[in-house]
Amino acid sequence: MSKPKQVLVACGAGIATSTVVNNAIEEMAKENNLKLDVKQIKIAEVGGYEDSADLLVTTAMTKKEYRFPVINARSFLTGIGMEDTKKQILDELMK
Amino acid sequence: MEAFVDIVQGFLGLGATVILPVVIFLLGLAFGQKPGKAFRSGLTLGVAFVGIFLVVDLLVNNLGPAAQGMVERLGVSLNVIDVGWPASSSIAWASTVAAFIIPLGLLVNAIMLITKTTKCMNVDIWNYWHYTFTAAMIYAVSGSIVQSLIGAVLFQIVCLKVADWTAPMVQDFYEMPGVSVATGSTISYAPGIWLVKLLQKTPGIKNLNADPDSIQKRFGIFGESIFIGLALGIVIGILAGFGIGEVIEIGMAMAAVMVLMPRMVKILMEGLMPVSESAREWLNKRFGESDITIGLDAAVLLGHPSVIATALILVPVTVLLAVILPGNALLPFGDLATIPFIVAFIVGAARGNIVHSVIVGTILIAVSLYVATDVAPVMTQMAQNANFDMPEGSTQISSIDQGGNIVNYVIFKIFDIFN
Repeated sequence: MSKPKQVLVACGAGIATSTVVNNAIEEMAKENNLKLDVKQIKIAEVGGYEDSADLLVTTAMTKKEYRFPVINARSFLTGIGMEDTKKQILDELMK
Repeated sequence: MEAFVDIVQGFLGLGATVILPVVIFLLGLAFGQKPGKAFRSGLTLGVAFVGIFLVVDLLVNNLGPAAQGMVERLGVSLNVIDVGWPASSSIAWASTVAAFIIPLGLLVNAIMLITKTTKCMNVDIWNYWHYTFTAAMIYAVSGSIVQSLIGAVLFQIVCLKVADWTAPMVQDFYEMPGVSVATGSTISYAPGIWLVKLLQKTPGIKNLNADPDSIQKRFGIFGESIFIGLALGIVIGILAGFGIGEVIEIGMAMAAVMVLMPRMVKILMEGLMPVSESAREWLNKRFGESDITIGLDAAVLLGHPSVIATALILVPVTVLLAVILPGNALLPFGDLATIPFIVAFIVGAARGNIVHSVIVGTILIAVSLYVATDVAPVMTQMAQNANFDMPEGSTQISSIDQGGNIVNYVIFKIFDIFN
């Protein structure tokens, strides 16, 4: 059994907007039988997970480059284009 | 009829932790959710209240005596504890008037969109708690549901108007087309935009700047709530003259508060989410096609390196201000983690200039400390109404976010005069 992928879910404060994304990703994982290690954090804390993370999903903006892919999940807040973002996340997790 | 009134009054007498869950259940049904799902939301909300009350207890019972000790030993009178926005929002949602705010807020936003008095469709239902807080505060001094709802609507209108005003900046500087920000914690500091413009014209200051990356490296520790909690707890324990064992204990307890409080609010969020999603769909269906901006939580702006850097510097600045400002009684704690929200518009107006942002942020936080000090008696009363256990003696509570909110204060004062 391989190690579960570590997914960072980050927003400005690590509470409000990221909870929305966090729940959606956990639901997706259940539906697709994926084992994930989801960490809900503040965007300022991403640095602490630089070496272990496989994916960053964030509702906040980020200007930095990371060694893992970054997906913007603002559509989860607006409700527009949410399915596309979900698909994007799922594709990344299935890799 | 009399029996009906009795039932309603009996229900309102049950206390806030029962009322809002029931209201969320009914709202869920009204939006067409299945009874099971709606019941789950309501129940989750009630559980969250219990959790948040536990953590506030932990905070107040540890920090309260230490703050008193500090007052007695050093004469630094910081006996108002900053409980932070998680507790403030719970106190707001726990108010008798909270039940009306979500439907009323949706209605006001819809009317303003139809009459084209705003372009902002605020789908950020979670942050309706700011309107709720204004209402709850006015309710605490007036006992009038009508007055408190008028106050909440006034606050909401200011939020939407500021969101319209700042939308071009959000789109240019933060590169978010079609997005605006109507979050109460951020819009209150919009006057800082004028101060920034002043600094940009001041010789000698206008060319100063700093590099966000090096600041993040040097001040990074101030971004980690768990360490802020530990350090502040230890320092306050020492200043209060505690023994070494007690000092470590209070440090540990404060670190725990910083970590646990957001977790509890997460549960509150989960409870509100189904209703907030339904409300968002309702708005999207009606206004999604017109020429509007979508109002989101200010959290979407906070990833910008200049916002992070400015907020990191302002954490120690806020603590220092609290100690040196004469007449301030607020002991900053919970909302040290909220400073990024305070500066989001300021940094945008300063086009990322950290020196300008820190200067303006310092001035506005100083104002907020005085505002938060002034509303402490009302906020403590609100917490007691919500069945929070408040310690005996002279310790009070308040918060920088919303307690120290300048717009909320102006509206509250207007109503306060007439009551």
